[in-house]
Amino acid sequence: MTAQRDGDAGGGAAVELQGVTVGFVSRRVLTGVTLRVPRGGRLGIIGPAAGGKSVLLKVIAGLLRPDAGAVRVLGHDLAAAREREVAAVRRRVGMLFQNYALFDFLSVGDNVAFPLVHGGAPPEGIEARVAARLRGVGLAGSERKLPSELSGGMKKRVGIARATVARPELALYDEPTAGLDPVTTSKIYDLLRADQAETGGTCVVVSSDVAAVAGFADTIAMLHDGRVRWVGPAAALFDADDPLVRSFARGEEREGAAVLARAVAIEPPGAGVWS
Amino acid sequence: MILQRTLTTLGARSMAVARDAGGVFVLLLEVLRSLVPPSMDGRELMRNLYKMGYRSVPIVVLTALFVGALMVVQLAAFVKQFGATALVGWGTGYAVFREVGPILIGLMFSGRVGANNTAELATMTVTDQIDGLQALAIDPIRYLVVPRVLAMIVCLVALTVIGDLVALIGAMAMSQVVLDIHPLTLWYSLVDNLSTADFLHGVYKSMVFGAAIALSSCYFGLTVKGGAVGVGRAVNAAVVGAAVSICFLDFLMTYLTA
Amino acid sequence: MALVPRRSLTSLGARTLDLVDAVTDLVRVAAGTVSGAVFTYWRGTRPKGEIARQMHAIGNRSLLFVMVTLGFVGMVMVYQTCLLTTQVVDGRGQVGAQFARLLVLDVGPSLTAMMLATRVGAGIAAEIGSMKVTEQIDALRMSAVTPVDYLIVPRFFACVLMTVVLSIFGMAASWAAGGLTGYYSFQINPRTFFDLSMVAPAHVVLGMTKAVAYGAAIPIVAGWCGLRARGSSEGVGAATTAAVIGSSFAVIVLDFIISAIGLIFWGAGL
Repeated sequence: MTAQRDGDAGGGAAVELQGVTVGFVSRRVLTGVTLRVPRGGRLGIIGPAAGGKSVLLKVIAGLLRPDAGAVRVLGHDLAAAREREVAAVRRRVGMLFQNYALFDFLSVGDNVAFPLVHGGAPPEGIEARVAARLRGVGLAGSERKLPSELSGGMKKRVGIARATVARPELALYDEPTAGLDPVTTSKIYDLLRADQAETGGTCVVVSSDVAAVAGFADTIAMLHDGRVRWVGPAAALFDADDPLVRSFARGEEREGAAVLARAVAIEPPGAGVWS
Repeated sequence: MILQRTLTTLGARSMAVARDAGGVFVLLLEVLRSLVPPSMDGRELMRNLYKMGYRSVPIVVLTALFVGALMVVQLAAFVKQFGATALVGWGTGYAVFREVGPILIGLMFSGRVGANNTAELATMTVTDQIDGLQALAIDPIRYLVVPRVLAMIVCLVALTVIGDLVALIGAMAMSQVVLDIHPLTLWYSLVDNLSTADFLHGVYKSMVFGAAIALSSCYFGLTVKGGAVGVGRAVNAAVVGAAVSICFLDFLMTYLTA
Repeated sequence: MALVPRRSLTSLGARTLDLVDAVTDLVRVAAGTVSGAVFTYWRGTRPKGEIARQMHAIGNRSLLFVMVTLGFVGMVMVYQTCLLTTQVVDGRGQVGAQFARLLVLDVGPSLTAMMLATRVGAGIAAEIGSMKVTEQIDALRMSAVTPVDYLIVPRFFACVLMTVVLSIFGMAASWAAGGLTGYYSFQINPRTFFDLSMVAPAHVVLGMTKAVAYGAAIPIVAGWCGLRARGSSEGVGAATTAAVIGSSFAVIVLDFIISAIGLIFWGAGL
């Protein structure tokens, strides 16, 4: 199963996953996931809760090593690379985390500047780039605020600003619109679209909001129980042959509920040896 | 300017300490009042005894072994200098039974059980489970606090007794290795010079420490504010409060019972 | 590595794997901290004033706590020793000098570190643990920042320095409180009590070595526990608990090891 975009000749893929399997001791989270995102592509990942979407995103970001399978991101094999090489690739990747993951001990401005400061950008230009990026997400002049003073939607936009300030070649968004109202949701997708048009980078979006992500992405992949259940053009999602995919995408009661019921919470192994 | 600021912080801190000490004392009174017709959730008590006592045995045994050995290492230079081999058992026993045993095992117990208990109660508090209990007309003091306080006192006393004995084993092994003193020599030196009172002195202390750890951990667990960060802060405050109480009560008990 | 079904040896196998995993993590954090402190920390872009901020958080804010607890312990130690010495022959004249020796050699640094393991260990684990469960650690890694370098190394420097400083303050408090107890309860003349003649340079060296070792161990163990936090507030609570126990235990073990080395080195001269 390959996420092939029309007209992707040459150029190579930004993300290439081959049989990726991730499992904690007692439970597998991803099983044999194979996906390909061409450079400049927009992939949307959907699926029921606890289906492994966030884990998949972390594998692409090089934050989590798969137990089996190959991960090629921006031309580097992350599954086999040394940590230093993986870190170098990560500098070219931006990521928005599900719960924003803003550094609560840094101001908004310092949060957005973080990838620049630690990415070796010339120090003179940083302030202006941060200001421009914050203006881009509609938060001009809030550099000095602390993340704790912001609302959820604002934090999300700061997170997007931080993920994109260094103009990454690959941007990963984990639930960019969860818990936001429809107006803000469409504003955020407009923002992502504008960013991508400007940089020509690649986007991977994980979202539970099927309709919104289908409007944004060119390709949709559905994860179910840690496997890729369906991949295809976004337009074909709502008329997919697979009844489970179709009902999940349309949000239909009966089968959709059955899908959700099968998704069990992941129980991570115990935290300490002393407990 | 600086003086004023220092005084302000000092005042604010003293007020906070006074409020917490008062809170712990009020909790103690409430626990005592709940004991008057002695009714308690027996299953909750057994569950806590198992969790707090049985599962702390490994860490207490390890700590005590090292502490016993450490006592001998500290005494070794002195003993070598004066050849006072007959005093090793006495010195080790006196220090371990009366002070080092109850204090160090109390501190470890506070870290393992007290902190855990605070985290558990704090999580229940921030997720509104305590309010849920009250809505069901269940008294959280009687249901949650009393069994924990009793369990912690019983467990700490038992663990201190175990720890005292294990520390002696550590001391015997160490003195055999370092000072070439036969374990029996150490044992006789201890039995001849120490009385049951020395041993019981430590047991009484562990009883009081157990109550202090329990009350401190329950108090900070139930008064937590502010989500996951608050839970971490509460655990921190509880272990600090327990450590201060242990040192203070140790002084008080030594002074009063001497 | 493909996952084989492990149902038959589930619990034991999983626990062993967990333990191996935890120990590997500890070694990795310790090695990362030391190499970070020596090499990488000074190279990269480091947060300005972070070490000073950590020194304030670890040192200033533990000062009162350490002095109060060590003060009480000093009083108890002098009281017990006096009770003991007055039983047989009157050895009160020796109590002060012996107390000073023991304080410098062991009790000062070790008890200060036990207190810091409680307060600082819990603090570090709670901070780093809550960063872990809110994915802030992953966000650091996305900018190619090593969490150990960024978070643990500044605390490492601050904690080593502050454990030494607080040990000295703690010893002073303990010594003074002990002297007062000796004077009021056993009529020991302060001039007899505050006697440093038994304290040799070897004692100071050994005591300070202990302080440095404890100061190094606490942030490493606590940081390790914090970085292993999983889940939500329960995870942070569990990490904090583990940090208190782990760093207290590290202090006791290090005390034993360093004391034993000192004994081998100096023997009866101590």
